[in-house]
Amino acid sequence: MAADTRSETAATERFEDVDWNDVGGLGFTRRTLALGVSSLAYAVAVLYDVFLTEDALISGTNWLFLLTLLAGVFFVAWPLADNRRLTAYYWRRFKKNRAAVISAIYLLVVFVLGTFGPMLIAKPELNVLAAYQPPVFLSVDSSVPTSCVGQAAEGLCHGTWKYPLGTTSDGKGIARLVVFGMRVSMQVGLITMLIVISIGTVVGTSAAYFSGLVDELLMRYVDIQQTFPTFFLFLIVTYLFKPSLFLLITIFGFLGWGGIARLVRSEALQRREESYIQAAENAGASDGWIIRRHLMPNVSNTVITAATLLIPSFILFEATFAFLGLTDPSTPSWGQVISSGRGDLDSAWWIATIPGVFLFFTVLAFNFVGDALRDALDPRSEGDA
Amino acid sequence: MSMHWYVARRVAWAVIATYLILSITFGLLAVAPGDGQTAFAFKAATQGGDVDEAQETFDEITGRDEPLLTRYKNYMVNMATLNWGWSFTRNQPVLDAIAQAYPYSLMYALPATLISIIAGYAIGLYSATHQYTLTDYFGTFTAFFGISIPNFWFGIMLILVFAVDLGWLPSYYQTGRGVWTVANAKQLILPIIVLSTGAIAGNMRYSRAEALEYVHADFVKTARAKGADDWRVLVRHIFRPALVPLMTILVADILGLLFAGAYITEVVFQIPGLGLLSYKAIIQQDTALVMATTLIPVFIAIIGNLVQDIAYTVLDPRISYGDR
Repeated sequence: MAADTRSETAATERFEDVDWNDVGGLGFTRRTLALGVSSLAYAVAVLYDVFLTEDALISGTNWLFLLTLLAGVFFVAWPLADNRRLTAYYWRRFKKNRAAVISAIYLLVVFVLGTFGPMLIAKPELNVLAAYQPPVFLSVDSSVPTSCVGQAAEGLCHGTWKYPLGTTSDGKGIARLVVFGMRVSMQVGLITMLIVISIGTVVGTSAAYFSGLVDELLMRYVDIQQTFPTFFLFLIVTYLFKPSLFLLITIFGFLGWGGIARLVRSEALQRREESYIQAAENAGASDGWIIRRHLMPNVSNTVITAATLLIPSFILFEATFAFLGLTDPSTPSWGQVISSGRGDLDSAWWIATIPGVFLFFTVLAFNFVGDALRDALDPRSEGDA
Repeated sequence: MSMHWYVARRVAWAVIATYLILSITFGLLAVAPGDGQTAFAFKAATQGGDVDEAQETFDEITGRDEPLLTRYKNYMVNMATLNWGWSFTRNQPVLDAIAQAYPYSLMYALPATLISIIAGYAIGLYSATHQYTLTDYFGTFTAFFGISIPNFWFGIMLILVFAVDLGWLPSYYQTGRGVWTVANAKQLILPIIVLSTGAIAGNMRYSRAEALEYVHADFVKTARAKGADDWRVLVRHIFRPALVPLMTILVADILGLLFAGAYITEVVFQIPGLGLLSYKAIIQQDTALVMATTLIPVFIAIIGNLVQDIAYTVLDPRISYGDR
């Protein structure tokens, strides 16, 4: 009986008889298909926005953010959902680090609030009457705010739920500013990371795969780019041109990938020698195919870890420039709010303090998560754990 | 490849990089819409001058009416001969303004560098030799804190606590208090803390990772087996081999960190050093001064990279000159 079924399945699984469409097929997988459709839709929408509308529907930064989210869905979330076992394995290793799990949850909250919050709540508005309100549960001497929105008693002004985190010197609610700042920070961190890892991975793997002249040219270019400190380059550029979030992201994105490229190259040089690459070459795979299908997936763990540790530096740069007043003043960023509270430290300490707490914890959380990802994804760290 | 040839090639490379950067800066200046002309004319107008005349003067000074190639040549010659232009907001040559400013930067940057090296390496080495102890975890936590806290916000929080609430230290820097006085030292404490925190964390991480490579090495076990005490093992057998990469990391990376950090620190504490000079120049649209104050850190970074690479090959015989 058992022998019968075995021969039967063997018969149906003869190579010629396999229905390739059933197992994913020679055509496109569902993921590739969905990716193709959505990138097409994205391209059409961007072209429509650029050429056919008078005012931009959404800003360039928001378009880039949308692209980053799409990339996240197709290259991170979807593969993880497809490979349940691998995901579970990574999760088991990742969750050993308690601080990283808490950080990841915190970052998820910041991400969701930052992405969807600004669509739901109104932009904080100037309201001189509501200036210098203290955060809820706290109180401040009545002489500090012009008029107290909450309860005023015994010469003290108490905070109200209308402004849970208090207000700035021009009466903007800090809670709202913080939510809007989350979006800016997430955009800067994630979009810049996407640009950096895309260029860095392509350059690094190409340099390692083609070697010779290509390698020499690409890596010499990286050398030049790496000698120019991005901080000071951006200072010069922001001085000469009109500063904007878009400019900041593109400068840091297109000039900040040198480190990743070097890292990927050294990693890919080792992979290049492995037998599966030779097997693919012998089977007649094209250069592009080998780079895309064999080199890139095998260096992706290194790239993801390094990228996670790069995000906080981009967020810090943005906050720093916003603090210096060298970004677009209409973009409500954490650095900007901190800067606006600098003059009122003795009367209204919360203005400079609260956004900074969020900034600090966001950067800290990315560092924790990056560290834990390195332990979880990098098989070389196995000996330590 | 001989070492001399390597060093010669490396120096030539630094010169080329400098040339490229100057050219790029020139290109940016040439295509930029606003480079201080408006501010210059505005200043002339507020002083009772004629705006059109001022714009013409500006064009003459900066040579904007000449052909591009001549301007490029003049620019390069001026850069090479240290003729870096005139700061119209300060009415003095740019280099004089810089010469006046840099002692203030050194006053807190030098102590901060020393502290970050000593403290960073000490904590890093201790963590490495006492891995997975409470102190190690504490050290790791400190490192995370140091690299994560935004410099400028940390400065403001320190001002809030120590200057505004407790009133122990002044909240911003005032000139005219001498150099070697208690008052000056007091107002430098907070800037030094702010600047060194990030650098300590960086040094600590590097030195811990570097030392960990040697902690379980055979020669360290041999030394222990032969009865060397902890201190001797640490200093003679772990610190010495780890020192080479650490020294070289120091040159370029710490320089970069300090420069970017110093910029912010000076703005927060109002120290009239290079960073604040540059910041004010940007706000007041003083192009010559902006260029000089941002290019100097760039050149220092190039030289730092050069020194780092050469030091690496000279100090570490294991490095082959062939790979770059």
